[in-house]
Amino acid sequence: MKPESSFEKMLGQPLKLPEEVRARIERELVEPVVFYALADLDASMRLTRTWVAMSAKTVALAEESLAPVRVFKREQIKAVVRAPGLSCTTLTLQAAPGEPALAVLRYTHRQRRAFENLQFLIEQQLKNLELAPSDPDQNYADAVTHPVKEAQASVSANKLAVIWRLTSYLKPYRRRLALGMFGAFLMSLIALIPPYLTGRLMDEVLRPFEAGSLTQEAALHLGWILVAGVAAVLVVREFFVWLRLRMLATLGELVAGDIRRELYEHLQTLSLSYFSSKRTGSLISRVTSDTDRLWEFLAFGIVEVILAAVTLLGLGVVLVCLDWRLGLMMALPVPVLFTAIYLHGESMKELFLRTWRKWSAVGDVLSDTIPGIKVVKAFNQEEQEKQRFGTRSDAFTNECNNIHASWTLFWPILMLCIHLLLVGVWFFGMPRVLSGGVEGVAPLSAGTFVSFLLYAGMFFYPIEVVGQVARMMNRAVSSAHRIFEVLDAKPDIVDIPQAVRLEPLKGRVTFENVTFSYDGLRPVLKGVNFEVREGEMIGLAGPSGAGKTTVTNLIARFNDATGGQILIDGVPLKNLDSGHYRRQVGMVLQDPHLFHGTVLENIRYGCPGATLDQVMEASRAANAHDFVCKLPYGYETMVGERGHTLSGGERQRVSIARALLTDPRILILDEATSSVDTETERKIQEALDRLVKGRTVFAIAHRLSTLKRANRIFVVEDGRIAEQGTHAELLEKEDGIYRKLHRMQQELHEMYAV
Amino acid sequence: MTMTTVEPQRDSGRQAVSRVGEIAAAVATPQPITIPVLRLERASDGRLLAHRDGKSTAVRVVRCFPWTDPTRYASLRDEKDNEVALVKEARDLDPESRRVFEGALAEAGFVLEVIRIHSMEDLYEVRQWSVETKQGERLFQTKLDEWPRELASGGFVIRDVCGDLYFIAEPERMDAKSRRILWALAE
Repeated sequence: MKPESSFEKMLGQPLKLPEEVRARIERELVEPVVFYALADLDASMRLTRTWVAMSAKTVALAEESLAPVRVFKREQIKAVVRAPGLSCTTLTLQAAPGEPALAVLRYTHRQRRAFENLQFLIEQQLKNLELAPSDPDQNYADAVTHPVKEAQASVSANKLAVIWRLTSYLKPYRRRLALGMFGAFLMSLIALIPPYLTGRLMDEVLRPFEAGSLTQEAALHLGWILVAGVAAVLVVREFFVWLRLRMLATLGELVAGDIRRELYEHLQTLSLSYFSSKRTGSLISRVTSDTDRLWEFLAFGIVEVILAAVTLLGLGVVLVCLDWRLGLMMALPVPVLFTAIYLHGESMKELFLRTWRKWSAVGDVLSDTIPGIKVVKAFNQEEQEKQRFGTRSDAFTNECNNIHASWTLFWPILMLCIHLLLVGVWFFGMPRVLSGGVEGVAPLSAGTFVSFLLYAGMFFYPIEVVGQVARMMNRAVSSAHRIFEVLDAKPDIVDIPQAVRLEPLKGRVTFENVTFSYDGLRPVLKGVNFEVREGEMIGLAGPSGAGKTTVTNLIARFNDATGGQILIDGVPLKNLDSGHYRRQVGMVLQDPHLFHGTVLENIRYGCPGATLDQVMEASRAANAHDFVCKLPYGYETMVGERGHTLSGGERQRVSIARALLTDPRILILDEATSSVDTETERKIQEALDRLVKGRTVFAIAHRLSTLKRANRIFVVEDGRIAEQGTHAELLEKEDGIYRKLHRMQQELHEMYAV
Repeated sequence: MTMTTVEPQRDSGRQAVSRVGEIAAAVATPQPITIPVLRLERASDGRLLAHRDGKSTAVRVVRCFPWTDPTRYASLRDEKDNEVALVKEARDLDPESRRVFEGALAEAGFVLEVIRIHSMEDLYEVRQWSVETKQGERLFQTKLDEWPRELASGGFVIRDVCGDLYFIAEPERMDAKSRRILWALAE
């Protein structure tokens, strides 16, 4: 996990009330601080730091300078008024009407969450509902770092640590890795032999023959041996090339496959809250393109870098051993070349950023207009859209050309410099070869010179590899980072050891003083109590945000209650095997999701072993059979994304069939009949009537008419069950919430009825 | 002077439907010019009060076009976020109301104004910025795929991960280093 000090550095502000400020405040408050926030703008809208701290009874305002601490009683606060602006929010703590404000606090959006929490605490106090926040330091740090943590992975940003963790995935394939590395090393070492043999051929065969000190027969004999040696070395080298490529390419695929699988499996364990905080596209690309990038890095990147370094080192040693003067002349400029490559890479970063930005702009047009093509055509904007796309596409092309202009200039210049080194070798070496051992001139044989030239030519590739590696490594580490962020996320729901499996599950649901909060501060459910008998149908009604969906999420154990307990057939829900339990909970949601597959596969989704008869029976009961038979391939028509498009009502009925087939003991219906026409609603309602028989049902509906069949209705308001009873009983309650909601809906219906 | 006001919506749906018709008719028919029916005041408790037709309402100012036309078309909204009045031009108000209005408008439209970019570095998933603003030094982060937005009226606005806005009014007048950094991300 990233240490908090990293966030402090990133944000440039403390994440905790500084000790000396706390001491000054607590001297004034005479009580410990229970909550605080930081107002980072002053009255003249300049950045500042004014700490706003609350104890049980008092509020203190303290600047980080030694200005006196301002203090007033919490009970003096009669109202809190927030006025949000573009980048500054003003929070006014008001005293009694007509009196001057107690405090006017100004802060940027960075401090918004902390001040929202502060406002919430004060408002609870005004309602005589005291809350006791547990850890003021943690509360503040979480509030301020939340947006950054949401945007950025919380794993360590240390590149080396990420690479080291990545290499740990190589452990199961040690043998393959060892063989591949062995092949790679030998391939590199063996590549050094042919230039040496060529030099020997020059010095021990061709020149002696020319000089007459070797007969033609002897020269040919020796020559064929050396040539055969070169041929053998090349064959052996290619064998090791094959060994390296085969082992490491497949190794890369295996490791990428392992990571992909682990990533997806881990995703399946994570709670709903994780998915709601991440974009779908981002998660998908982590499983696909990020793992793909890792293959490239693992199969080639790491090894290529090591080999390039080893080759360069080996070449340097060989060259210096062959001739130390020429060897140093080749080797010493290498660090300079690397520096040039590094600086060029840095200068290219800005060009890459611009290109990426222009490419995003092109993508934006496409993701706007392709899904919205109907609107484009309806408003006759095709020409304008062509122009918009053309402008952006041209801008992108120009940026790409700027990149090409840069690298197509740099690399030839770099290669020219390397070639000039070779020319230098000729310049200094040739006289020594031709000097024939003249005094004062270090002699150099023609063969050695030729070997030297051949070795020097081998410099190019490793330098090129090292030049590319920085970019490849950055991309791979970035991908690894994104992957590890998911792998390090912890699921909220974890089964206890020896979790209980209820066989059979009867469906009795009990809430005992259940409280729940998403953020640990604002309770969404506040002490909910009820008991639902098996087979009972409960309607959940109430205004938006009251907590109805939270109740059903807790029953389905997508979240665990933060206080109180939930019992299923008398057993605490937290003690149940969550997988086994959820197989007996069915859900029909407002917007049912069908997977890419056939209708048959979708209906069978929760029950893969169901027979065709069972599928058809469920489909008939869901009023889906008739429309399925009208599809091009009946039950084997592909639906879902990229498949045949079903209407909302049709998808709903397939979803009901899917739920019927699993035969759940507890059923959750969430707005199952909204967004469809009357005839379809009738069909869905019939299907639902069959579905709910004999099961414990929790049905959420904004249209109260659909809850008439419920045995009881719970009216949820502000996190509590404000009313409960049958439809008729609730309608008789004077000033009742349900009665008011019912009346409003009736009026609306009458107003817009045809 | 022309002042357009929008009445708060009534409770009953039927009345709302008829009110929509009235408003549509009013828009179609030019209204007579009135002098000033709206008065603004900053109360001692810090609230901004809109006085109109003998009624006082605590309001806040919302700029309708914060980038295209930041000094015109400001919506005055009550605590339930209903519009109390729409001020098209500050000069339409009496001098004292105008002074109060402009102060509130400045506060509502406050953004940090960048005058120098010290550094900008791509970290994992975020871009780390170090800037000098007219309001002081600031470090902030933006998402990697979120770019400075060029404004039709000139300049750029950058939005950080917390939602804070950073305005660069005249990029061409910045120092060479700042311009170079900005060039990679904008223009």
